[in-house]
Amino acid sequence: MTVRLPEGDLRERLERYLEGFREHVELDEAGLEGNLVRVVVEPGAVPRVLTVAREALGIMHLSFITVVDRRGHFDLTYELLDLRGGRVQVRTTLEDEEPVMESVTGIYPTANWHEREAYDMFGIAFRGHPDLRRVYTWQDHFDHHPLLKSFEISTKRTFEGLR
Amino acid sequence: MMLREEERRHTETVTLSGRMSDRLVRPDIRDEFGLETMDMNMGPQHPSMHGLLRLILELDGETIVRCDPVMGYLHRCQEKIAENRLYPAVIPLTDRLDYLANIHNEHGYCMAVEDLMDVEVPPRAEAIRVLMSELMRLASHIPSIGFLLLELGAFTPILYGFRERERIQDIFEAITGARMMFHYIRIGGVKADLPEGMEERIWNYIESLEASFKRDFIDLIEGNEIFVARTRGVGKITPQKALEIGLTGPPLRCTGVDFDVRRDYPYSWYPNVEFDVVTDEAGDVEASYRVRVRECYQSMRIIKQVLEKMPEGEVMADLGRRLRPPEGEGFGRVESPRGEFAVHVVSDGTDVPYRVHYRDPSFVNMQMLQEIVPGHYLPDIMPIMGLIDPVSGGWDK
Repeated sequence: MTVRLPEGDLRERLERYLEGFREHVELDEAGLEGNLVRVVVEPGAVPRVLTVAREALGIMHLSFITVVDRRGHFDLTYELLDLRGGRVQVRTTLEDEEPVMESVTGIYPTANWHEREAYDMFGIAFRGHPDLRRVYTWQDHFDHHPLLKSFEISTKRTFEGLR
Repeated sequence: MMLREEERRHTETVTLSGRMSDRLVRPDIRDEFGLETMDMNMGPQHPSMHGLLRLILELDGETIVRCDPVMGYLHRCQEKIAENRLYPAVIPLTDRLDYLANIHNEHGYCMAVEDLMDVEVPPRAEAIRVLMSELMRLASHIPSIGFLLLELGAFTPILYGFRERERIQDIFEAITGARMMFHYIRIGGVKADLPEGMEERIWNYIESLEASFKRDFIDLIEGNEIFVARTRGVGKITPQKALEIGLTGPPLRCTGVDFDVRRDYPYSWYPNVEFDVVTDEAGDVEASYRVRVRECYQSMRIIKQVLEKMPEGEVMADLGRRLRPPEGEGFGRVESPRGEFAVHVVSDGTDVPYRVHYRDPSFVNMQMLQEIVPGHYLPDIMPIMGLIDPVSGGWDK
């Protein structure tokens, strides 16, 4: 009972990934940079891209999900590793005041806590998540999402006078 | 802020104590003998817990039915603090993430900012970084072997483990000036060159450690009847499951998956040294112990090679006083003793990061508790924690 990890030339493999994504999903933008395949899609297409990555291309590892609050919309980055030098970044933009995103826990179960963290910190609701609770802050009586740019901290400092 | 529908649906079954068990939601639930399961709270203050972690356990007799980790007791919202600091001022904060492997956190963050700014780090600085990382790995793996044994009731290995950690900390103190919160790796290099005679001192220490390592950490433990009875087959996990959960580091390698960031995503000075990626087939607590022990030997091997091949030259790139990275994104990924530590830094062109995201291995590996612990006996939780070896500052950020 072993896991098959990818073999062969890195460059060839990355091109195969890019082709695979192009074949199965409509991409807004895609490209190769170094050891990185960069894919930009609509929010609704993210689960399909990740399904292709796992089922058809055999990329086993979801490294992290980063959310960036751009004041008005959210940028989401899903970083996948094929564990042999290749990286795939799936990016999407959520244009919503109250963002809802499709959960990818059914595809990469490790996304469970990553999505809980994103929900806790940014208030992004993941549709279809099995257990969407806050992971760090209080479960009750706390209606804030601390990493939103609209959440001001009391010790905010500026560095104007510094050289 | 109004609760959204999604949120409301989930808060219905959520109380202060996390998710309620089925028994509380449906009080009439009984097993075949008419007996109920029991909810039990383990932690947050628990003598054998790795820091502040609370586990809500549902027990059927002494068998665990459900394990629900509740985190956040050490949450400082590091990522928010980092958004209000200058780029170099984030480095001392990263020391407080995984406080048993500070150098790796600093290294990951600095790599991300260097990626953002396209900085060329001098080779001597890279070699010193690798040297420090591997010393740090020894200083983290050796006590963690001790912790595992302490949780099984053996007191000696933790004393030996901390004796070695103390010696490594003395070396760190001589190099960086601090025993734990080093602030040594800087953006573009390291703070200062190694002091006079330090290379020889590290060499001598590694020689003495090599001489005593087998006696103190292998002969004493491996094959011990109690150790085997408590760890063999406990926390057993298949490679497929490990990859699904997203495990990295020793918990992944002990299942036989051959993945190490140092080799597969080479960074810093690692392409210049030779080492083996240690794996084991069993995938249980005993296997994770074996992996850690053998990784210590690899670390010693790397340290010796670095000392032999140490390049001369500067240890810091000239970046000017105030860092203003261009707009864009940077990534750093290192192999910390617990697994893959990754940093994602987003810049908006000012001197303060727009967003810093840490992917901490302790946090991700802890998901294993939910998946693996059910079906085990209550006293098996602590060996499984020893397999994951999480650090409170890491999983809580």
